[in-house]
Amino acid sequence: MSTLPLEGIRICDFTAVWAGQTATMYLADMGAECIKVENPYIWNPMTRAASPRMNAALAQMLPPWIAGHPPEPGPRPWNNSSAFMHVMRNKKSFTVDSRRPEGLAVVKQLIRISDIVAENLALGTLDKLGLDDGTIQSIRPDAIILHMPAFGRTGEYIEGRGYGSHIDGVAGSTVLRGYRDTAPVDNANIFAGDYWGGMMGAFALMAALRHRRRTGRGQVIEMAQSESSAHMFPQAALDAAWNGRVHGSLGNRSVEGLVPNGVFPTNVADSWLVISCRNDEEWANLVAFMGRPAWALRPELATSSGRAAHEDEIEERIADWTATRDRESTFHELQRAGVTAGPVLNAAEAADDPHLASTGAWKRLPATEDYPEVDWLRPAYRFSVSDIDLREPPCLFGQHNDYVYREVLGLSEAEIDALAAAGHIATTYAPEALNG
Amino acid sequence: MNALEGLTVLDFTSHIAGPFCTRLLAGMGARVIKVERPGGDTCRFLPPFKDDQPGPDRSALFHYLNADKESVVVDLRAEASRGVVSRLLALADVVVTASSPAQETALGIDYATLSAVKDVPVVSLTNFGHEGPYRDYTLSDTVLYAMGAEMYSHGLEDREPLKLGGTAALLQCGAMAAVAAMGAITAYEIQGIGQLVDVPLFDAQVNNTDRRNSAIMAWRFSGRIQRRAAGAGAGLAGGIYPVSDGFVEVTASAGNYWRRFVEMVNDDALRDPKWENPMTAMNPAAKEEADAIVYPWMLSHTRGEAWEAAREARAMLAPLYTGLDIWQDENFRSRGFWTEIEVPELGTLPMLGRPFILPDSPWRVDRAAPSPGQHTDQVLADAGFTTGEVSSLRAQGVVA
Repeated sequence: MSTLPLEGIRICDFTAVWAGQTATMYLADMGAECIKVENPYIWNPMTRAASPRMNAALAQMLPPWIAGHPPEPGPRPWNNSSAFMHVMRNKKSFTVDSRRPEGLAVVKQLIRISDIVAENLALGTLDKLGLDDGTIQSIRPDAIILHMPAFGRTGEYIEGRGYGSHIDGVAGSTVLRGYRDTAPVDNANIFAGDYWGGMMGAFALMAALRHRRRTGRGQVIEMAQSESSAHMFPQAALDAAWNGRVHGSLGNRSVEGLVPNGVFPTNVADSWLVISCRNDEEWANLVAFMGRPAWALRPELATSSGRAAHEDEIEERIADWTATRDRESTFHELQRAGVTAGPVLNAAEAADDPHLASTGAWKRLPATEDYPEVDWLRPAYRFSVSDIDLREPPCLFGQHNDYVYREVLGLSEAEIDALAAAGHIATTYAPEALNG
Repeated sequence: MNALEGLTVLDFTSHIAGPFCTRLLAGMGARVIKVERPGGDTCRFLPPFKDDQPGPDRSALFHYLNADKESVVVDLRAEASRGVVSRLLALADVVVTASSPAQETALGIDYATLSAVKDVPVVSLTNFGHEGPYRDYTLSDTVLYAMGAEMYSHGLEDREPLKLGGTAALLQCGAMAAVAAMGAITAYEIQGIGQLVDVPLFDAQVNNTDRRNSAIMAWRFSGRIQRRAAGAGAGLAGGIYPVSDGFVEVTASAGNYWRRFVEMVNDDALRDPKWENPMTAMNPAAKEEADAIVYPWMLSHTRGEAWEAAREARAMLAPLYTGLDIWQDENFRSRGFWTEIEVPELGTLPMLGRPFILPDSPWRVDRAAPSPGQHTDQVLADAGFTTGEVSSLRAQGVVA
């Protein structure tokens, strides 16, 4: 018996960037056969790497999150981008030029045997290819189609273009996450909505699959990412709607009213410790742990509302106290003393974190021609029976051409030869895509 | 028909992450039986409150997270609650918990105890999972984001790292748990599998697509650590700009988006081919030169005007909205983002509507969040308790 919940479900996957590719990844983790449709003649921006011409020098000039390739990215940088390879796990990649009639015919064949068609491309991209909803439904009447436009498929903003940071802007995220004393001009390059959109897209798809199991009907899902992401900040939206209040940034202070709730320096430069007192008992534990300094024993500080009136002072005092302390030992000692605290872990520290290592967060994958042997993250959750895991390494560009053309689509040798000769079947991009 | 109609969720969660997971299930039509502690979920006492007046039924956040649920108050610390939980389990297709491993055991809602009664999926949100050195540690939204997510590189180089707004990290973990729950429900309904689904909040943030997974892979591939920036990025126009009534965010990376941006600003100096050289994008002096043209354009436009010009040019620019902007924006309203709930004693109040549109199995916001124990009698009757048994349990303080 199969132990994967989505065994037998196939996804024809046109998703790009992070949100869309994250959504289909969660379904692939659960056993769906997720087939990425990739075009050797079109460089899809921010989908496999920041640039198809990535090289060692260019990578060094760009931030690691977007260009953390191996020191020598090599001839196929689209197969070793730190930013995108991790959303390709458990997926399959095949290539076809969907803009040409014979390529479009191949895509339609795939749609005929797919349960889900997913995309988050610029509005209308699939329509221009000749794959509007009506056409997809005529090929596959019970298809579930997921569209993830930035601002909606209807209304005044349909022509708006946006990556994650623009979606965060409209969703109300950006204005809430700065320092209290600066304008938000430095708040760029955060993409909270990409993670959110990925999860929401996967959730919506699985709900639609259940509906289809019960009714036999597919449907066209529209998830405007700006609307979906606004759900990450219900306090700000509802305080406005209920009370007319505008929330700005609280810095690292708590919208829940926890005091203290802050990020404090330790005895090593740029090494930070967060301390949150979630209730008055944790505050009392913190005061005891600090050795009952006189300033902290003032009775007005015993309650959170009392502490809120002295938040600046409390933060300064705690920062003075933490500034000479070791971050790791203080973290563990505070937790054992009943105070919620934790280090701000940078990427290297998270990669080496002993808890993650001991609970099996990572899985080592062998090297390929394009990337070295390293540990990769497994899915965030552990199912005790279903084998939901990092089972298949991230798909390289065109890696599953053989499998898809032969086994999934069942094309003949002659048909495959013709498509290959016409350039549809490739493991590298055509020169015009690289120079475009 | 709702997508999760006919599905019953037994919900032992409280605060924010767990209730958001079960709210998503309720929104898709599941019956969610919320088992609350005496005195009520702590989230009832979290702001914002209607008219800033605290009260168990006045928290906007609580209503947001618990709409369409049924509340049963059970004191899980009482030995007699075990029999109540067993009979509630008979109604359930999936259980969701959000307690520490120690609390799960103490309250009798750990997987071993629950699965001995009924073999259903149990989605267990914990801070750090059920094993490992941090197992018994506690988390707040900020500690969670600090340890799990890419907080270290958010903010400015010479200042402390920054968290996200609100309680976004906790809500993200609730969403992750909902994805896991849908997988577990599918395995249960199709394959008859009951199982423990362990959702550590820490792991959910380490998996955060927003730069965290990328930054860790970057470290592994290149040995480079993602750090906080010295300031807004160098190079071509990009980042956040002030306009006459607020701010907008711009991406004008070399290629199409730069050309469309230039079209929007409509200044000949920016049409010089030198701007198309990728190396220009690395040059801080070039950014200053571009900004000397871009700033005046920005400051002579409102957010609405700038966004309209950007849409016309297909340029990548969008305004920074506050919660009030989202509430007042005509487009959010006309597309049906907002809906209403009816709260006894408070009247009709706005509520965030569907996070996505499933036209054939729509999202619902039918009822406001329940008062503590509002459905105790009904749910216990459904679980097979007689009126006399319920009275006796009430008298003992086991239910309320």
